[in-house]
This record gives sequence, C-alpha cells and structure tokens, in this order.
Amino acid sequence: MKRKVLATLLAGVMALSLAACGGSDAGSSAPASTDSGSSASTTTTTDTTATTSTDTSATATGGDQINLEMWCIATESDSNRHSYEAAIADVTAAHPEINFTWEAIENQAYKTKIKAAVAADEMPDIFFTWSCAFLGEFVDAGRVYCLDDSIANFQYKDELPEVMLGNTTYGGKHYGVPLTMNIVGLFANMDILAEVGYTEVPGSYDEFIACCDKLVEAGYIPFGCAGKETWCVTEYLESVIEKSCGADVLNDIFLGRATWNNADVASAVDTFQGMVNKGYFDPDGIALSNDEVKANFMQGKYAFYMNGTWNCADFAASDFGSKVKVSEFPVINADKAKLGQLIGGPSDTLAVAASSPNAEAAAQFTLELGRLICHYGYLDGCGLPAWTPYGDTSSVNPLTQTVSEICANADSYVLFGDTAMNADDANTYLSYVDQVYGCQIDGNGFVSGLAADIR
Amino acid sequence: MKQKKIINTLNIIAFLLPGLILFIVVLIAPIALSGYYSFFDWNGFGAKTFIGLDNYKELFTSSAIGFLKALRNSLLLAALSVFLQLPLSLGLALLLGKGIKGERAFLSVYFMPVLISTVVIGQLWLKIYNPSYGILNVALTKLGLESLTRTWLGDVKVALGACFVPTLWQYVGYHMLLMYAGVKGVSPELREAAMIDGATSWQVSRYIVIPVIKPIIKVSVIFAVTGSLKSFDLIYVLTNGGPLHATEVPSTLMINMLFLRNRYGMGSTIAVMLIFLCFAFALLINRAFKEER
Repeated sequence: MKRKVLATLLAGVMALSLAACGGSDAGSSAPASTDSGSSASTTTTTDTTATTSTDTSATATGGDQINLEMWCIATESDSNRHSYEAAIADVTAAHPEINFTWEAIENQAYKTKIKAAVAADEMPDIFFTWSCAFLGEFVDAGRVYCLDDSIANFQYKDELPEVMLGNTTYGGKHYGVPLTMNIVGLFANMDILAEVGYTEVPGSYDEFIACCDKLVEAGYIPFGCAGKETWCVTEYLESVIEKSCGADVLNDIFLGRATWNNADVASAVDTFQGMVNKGYFDPDGIALSNDEVKANFMQGKYAFYMNGTWNCADFAASDFGSKVKVSEFPVINADKAKLGQLIGGPSDTLAVAASSPNAEAAAQFTLELGRLICHYGYLDGCGLPAWTPYGDTSSVNPLTQTVSEICANADSYVLFGDTAMNADDANTYLSYVDQVYGCQIDGNGFVSGLAADIR
Repeated sequence: MKQKKIINTLNIIAFLLPGLILFIVVLIAPIALSGYYSFFDWNGFGAKTFIGLDNYKELFTSSAIGFLKALRNSLLLAALSVFLQLPLSLGLALLLGKGIKGERAFLSVYFMPVLISTVVIGQLWLKIYNPSYGILNVALTKLGLESLTRTWLGDVKVALGACFVPTLWQYVGYHMLLMYAGVKGVSPELREAAMIDGATSWQVSRYIVIPVIKPIIKVSVIFAVTGSLKSFDLIYVLTNGGPLHATEVPSTLMINMLFLRNRYGMGSTIAVMLIFLCFAFALLINRAFKEER
C-alpha cells in the first residue's frame, strides 16, 4: 500500500512540475516561458555589455551616480532597435551622472516577464508597455509612477501634444510617455494589381471587391493574413467593422460603453466572412505566423496585406518598396462611416515604476528618451511621431510619408481592440475572431457570444 | 541505551531534514499555493477577491474557456500514446531484444530524438508541415497524391493528429529503451525452455517476455498518460493551441489564463485539476495492472 501511495505521489508530482510552476505566485511563474526566456537572456547580456561600456565612461566623469534600468522589446530583429540605440546613446551622453542599463526581450516573452515583475513588485525603473488596458491594470495596482509633475517640468513639454497622452491617462493623471503611433494600413503590391488592370488601389468598396474578384479569377490571392496570430485577423476585421458601422460605434464597444449586441456589427462581420468564403484569403495563412505571411507578401504571393504601418520601414528598406503602396481601407457604408476613420493610435509607451528609488530622475530620463526614440523611429520609418517632429525629416521613406498624409486627414482613431480591452476580455474577443475567421460562427454568433462572455 | 536511541533518531531527522525541506519548498508548497489561489479572482498583481469554488464551476461550464475540449484533446493524445506509441515501442524493443545485427546502432538511432530539444523538434516539424514548401506536401504532390495535401497545422480536423506524430517520433525511442532493458533482463533459460517445448518466436514474446516486463510496461503507460495530460512544449511551438482551439490542451490553456488573460485564479484552478487528474490516472493504471495480475 505504501509503495502504491509513493508511486502515485511521485507520478503526480512529476506530472505537476509544470502546473505548479504556473500556478504559484508570479515570482515563480516567470520562468514558465523557458524557450523564449533563453533567447531573451542572450539579448540581455549583449545589451547590458554594450551599455555598460558607455556607462563606465559616464561614471568616470560624473558626480553622484544614479542607477537606472530599463526593459523594452527592441530586440536585435526589431525594426525599432536602431532608434532605441541611437536615443540611448544621446541621452546617456547628456547624463553622465546616470548609470543606465537596458534589456530587450522578445515581445511575447516580455508580456510574461513584465507581468511577473509587476506582481512581485520587482520592476525595473523604466519599462516598455502598451497603452490603455495593458498599462491600466498596472496603474490600478499602484505600481506606476505618475508623470504629471515630470511632464510639467520637462523642457520639451510643448513637443508632446496632450492628445497623444490620452491612452495613458487614467483618472486624469498621466502615467506613460508615448513613443510612436501606428495605424492599420492597406498595403498593395502594385505589380500584381497591374496584372489585373489597376494602376491605383481602388478607392471605393465596390471597385475594391471587383478588383479582388479579378485577382481570384487571375489566380492571385488577394489577402495575406496570419491566422496563427489572431491579432493579424483583427487588422482586417476591425477595419471592415469600422468602415461599415463608423468609428464611434466600435470605440464605444471596445471601451465598454456599448454592448457587442449590435446588428450593424453582426452584418459587418458577415461581410468579412463573405470575403473569407469567396477565397480572398490565403487558405494556408491559418497555419502561418505574421513573419511568414509578410515574407510571402514581399515575395509577391498576395496582392494586399493589411497590417500595422510599422511595416513601412521594412518594405521601404528593400527592393519591394518600389512596388508597394499604402492606403486606407475603403468605406463600406457611407451613411455610417467615412474615410479618415482609422484603426490605431499611440500605443507603444515607456513608463516608470512607482517603486523606483530614483523615480523622478527616471521620469525625466524617460521623457528625454521617449522624445528621442520617437524622433529616430520616425526617421527610420517605424511609425508616426507621437511627439512633434523636429529637425530635417526629409529622409523619411515615401510609405511613411503617405501614412503621415492619411493621418493628417484623420477624422478619428479606434485603438486596436486587443489593446483597448483588458487582458481577459481581449483574449475572449480574439477567440471569437478566430471562430469567425474559421467560419465556425457567423456575425450573429459573434456579437451574441461576445455580449454573453465578455466579463 | 535510551540516549543512544534518541541520538540515532536525531541523526535520522538531521539527515532527512534538508531533503524534506527541499521537497516541501520546491514541490508541496507550490501545489498548496496553487490550491489556495484557485479560490480567488486575481489578476496576479491587484487585490484578490475570495470567490470560493466559482473558478471550478466556471472551468467546467464556460464555453469561452473551453477546458472540457482541452481535456478531451489531452485524453485523445493519451489514448493515441497508449494504443499506438507504446505497442510500437514494445515491438521495437522485442525486435532489438532478439539481438539482431546492428542492435546498438538501431538503439542509438531510435533514442536520438529523445536527446533533441523539443523546441528544435517543433521547429523541424513546422518546416515539414509547411503548406507551401514542407516536405510532406511536396512529397505527396510528387507521388501524385495532391488531393491528400493540406494545411496540416491549420486544418481543425487533422491538426491534433499532426501534433501527435512528432510526439510519437520523439518518445517512441524513450519507451523502447525502457522496455528493451526489461526484455534484455528476461532470463535466456526461460526462452530456451520455451523454444525446446516448441514455442514460436511470437509465442515466446507473448507468453514469456511480455508478462515478465509488465511492471516496465506499467511505468511506460503511466509516463505516457501523465505526459499526455501535461503535454505543452511541442504543442506550444507547433500550434499554440490553435487553430480554433483544435489542439488546445490544459497546459496551454493554463498559460493562456495566467499570462495572457491575467487570470491567476483560473490558471491555478487548471493547475489543481491537472494535479488531480494525474493522481487519478496514476491510481487507475496501478489498479488496472494490479487486477490483471
């Protein structure tokens, strides 16, 4: 009997090594993403080494030294990497009294790491975050330093428009430094469109659908979409809903001011599903990652690719840049929506931990750093500036300039659904988006399901 | 005499204590904490709200969470492991146990996948299954079987099976090695006696070898079932539970709850259910083998 109990206990304990790790407190949960974590630590070592050499010289010339640590997602392969490196070099050179170290962690692993750090109250002084609900939960837990006074005292405060702070303002107080802003763009491979007789991206919805039909007839796949990463599907779906129902309707739903049970939204979802059923989307896309789909688009497999405008930098930097144009998705229902209603807004943000022993110094440092990351990021074409641009910006690539023009004529913005909603609701939403894309439910099933399941 | 007994007892305690403390801190405490957190609605860093058994109720009733589907997928993987992977391992063990030519080389070849990182195996099979350039679809097309090509990891009907194949490939050598050790341990006299009595090779395996290595088969079955219940890494790399939760298993669901949805209470509830299920299945398997004996 004893042997049986022991054998059972050992078997159970073995089986639960994973479960217990994830289920215990956040501190012990952090290593759960083993595979990603290892790559992250490699990056960390590199970054820390790189910045330490800068810091050593700073220490030699400085007086009272302040140690500041930052976590972000600008890994070696991230298109924002250069802007972070350039900005950090500038700010650390201007502040020899600060010993600055930073770590870059892969996007998905970072979400786990920062949440575990917040849970354990062991955050770095400065950390990258997404705006709205993601940062909001940390603010609610009292873990984020309020930047109101810091912004008021910042010498370049006039370059930071109040409107750009909206997504990081909670209870009337500011908690984040915005970096760049991005919208969802409709990227078109003009070589493929030329094959079916189009020299411009169709401006009206009817023309757009006619173009897609011609593409299908000619054997081309109109849309590339990574079904393995549901946020890529939302880039299409949210644009279709917005251009059918209007920005206000979608914004109210995302922010919890209106119910999902909306007949217009259901109809828009059916419109999107109609596109799936008509073979506009690559059927193989459901098993592909966004990187794979993006590579396929750049290799000429798809005519259109709807995704964030941060892609402008990568497209423009390659030969493909001369073939691609970016525009906004056409209006589907002109009675309720109009051009200039866009999906996106400022989301990439830096924030300061309330637990930082040098919180105010970190806040001033973050403001300077944020302004420069924005500046260099804009020059690199990684997004539009959340801060007022300065200096010579003529080198900005043509795609990003087109996005600037689209945004200059913007009527309103609806932030990405999975950023606007809290984590639990966002994942419920993504689960329903998956079901729509997989044609498991229709528009009515989508809205009624979300109305029932959003907590 | 009495003092010596006390000293002996103290010595035993002193030697056992470090191991006991380690066991409690590393294994028992996290399980107990998981049980504790499962009674709360908690996002991991805000205030905790005690909700009793509500997480357990929601786990079994909410279609949005989909725990029952994840559990069904795990049980399906367990069934495939027991009824497909283990017989294959046993067959290989019996074959190699006969001392065929190149026995050592075959052992190494079959065991090699066990030594490779699961993430590497996942990446390898991602390439094999790639709908555009993957070797599987390319081979089928070249063989004139184009109608059989599909998006292996994107088709809800075949995705779970597609995830099982790499698991089978990876662990068949592991179970084979366990059983092979047992087969090699069977006394040659027993085999020879049976052969002299006119038993065929199959009859020797069926009536002599397999009954002798039954305790090892039991261990393999427990490993296969509990391994399937807690399967995570390969599925995480291959599909991350998709498409449409077709390959969702309790562990991927738990990670989703803990780190994507910020529902530490619900994640802990899934952890507790995994603990319970692993214990329950280990007991059932023990009982099944005992009754058969």
